[in-house]
Amino acid sequence: MHAPAAFRQQLLAAIPRLRRYARSLVFDAGTADDLVQTALERALTHWHQFDQRRDILVWLVSIAHNAHIDERRRHARMSLVEPADGEVPPHSHLERWGSDPGADVGLRIDLVAALQSLPVEQREALLLVGVEQFSYAECADALAIPLGTVMSRVSRGRVALRERLDGRAPGSSAGAPTLRRVI
Amino acid sequence: MDTDDTALHAWFDGELPPGEAAAVEARLRENPELAAQVRLWRADRDALRARCDAMLLEPAPARLAQVVWQAPARRRAALWAAGFALFVLGGATGAALLAGLDAPGRALQAGSGEWPQRAAVAHAVYVPEKRHPVEVSVEQNQDGHLARWLTKRLDVPVKLFDLNPQGFDLVGGRLLPDARGPSAQLMYENAAGQRVTVYLRKPDTGPADAASAAFRYERQGELGLFYWVEGQGAGATGYALVGSLPREQLLVLAEAIYRQGAITARP
Repeated sequence: MHAPAAFRQQLLAAIPRLRRYARSLVFDAGTADDLVQTALERALTHWHQFDQRRDILVWLVSIAHNAHIDERRRHARMSLVEPADGEVPPHSHLERWGSDPGADVGLRIDLVAALQSLPVEQREALLLVGVEQFSYAECADALAIPLGTVMSRVSRGRVALRERLDGRAPGSSAGAPTLRRVI
Repeated sequence: MDTDDTALHAWFDGELPPGEAAAVEARLRENPELAAQVRLWRADRDALRARCDAMLLEPAPARLAQVVWQAPARRRAALWAAGFALFVLGGATGAALLAGLDAPGRALQAGSGEWPQRAAVAHAVYVPEKRHPVEVSVEQNQDGHLARWLTKRLDVPVKLFDLNPQGFDLVGGRLLPDARGPSAQLMYENAAGQRVTVYLRKPDTGPADAASAAFRYERQGELGLFYWVEGQGAGATGYALVGSLPREQLLVLAEAIYRQGAITARP
């Protein structure tokens, strides 16, 4: 049986936010959209498993999250470069990660570069709570992790982001600048 | 990380019950350094939201919408509805529109229909907004500032359509990025709290395409869309009316906009 039109409409409405979440995992817009497509396909296949009392975005995020983990496992033998270990990807990627012609260029690169330098687990949790405004419980549900883990990832991510924006290396209090403000 | 830190972060994320929140707030009042830190977190969060919200408006590749709608949908209904629209609009306008009518059901998926897709997405993003549905509200619209501003930025005449006779009041409008430049969204609301949006932009193509303008209807689940291009040459404007309303009701609104828009297009 095919998914009903009302369900498809819910998926369609969720696409912009799902794409945004995917890009917190992978920065390349094309790869992120591949992930979104996989998640949509899985959602359509398993539409009858969706409980209408739940927020569909939480459900879709959990599907995309798992799809991303599957993908990483599959490519584990290839050295997939995740900018999770403090490495800042080239600027072409930064520019593509959301283009807002109105925003201040210097500030944009600073903020996005700082965000990208966070470990993916912290970045994901921080954005789900801070930007998507998921509750801790929803975040735990979507990522299939305990509530306490959500709390520690969000708080560590928040502190680490601020440290990087202050020009401090993560965990260091000495103030060795790793990112220069361009503004 | 100690318990105090955990409580502070949970408070910041709105996760603490009132009693515990009050304790954190008391701590913040006594400790200016801590309060300053929280202000920085808030600034970071606001900056992230601003950056990430811009992302919502980037046009999604057509393949994603196609994935969602790939199973056979009921295109017949859309065709019939478009025919009905022409019948009601009738007369001269109907004849002019009929010339360009081609398979309205496919239009959204074809390349030519990508901007109505963006109109639908912009509708889906902003209509549920409770606090910031519009950028400039009707209360802020002194001396016709909103229409002037949007007209200037879009380089097409933008008029704040009066849908009062149809029971809809203007909420306000906003400027949006589109593939080739700015577009605008006007939002209207009726007494029942139902909202419709009007999306306006300069058409992609030149006068040749504007001449073949057609009035099209598309339905995607709950969401209905009427869209058309009006005027020719430099003054051509693309319109899309989006709403979760019965087709007949949406049509009445589309007709009202069409009549008022036609007046604006010929100053």
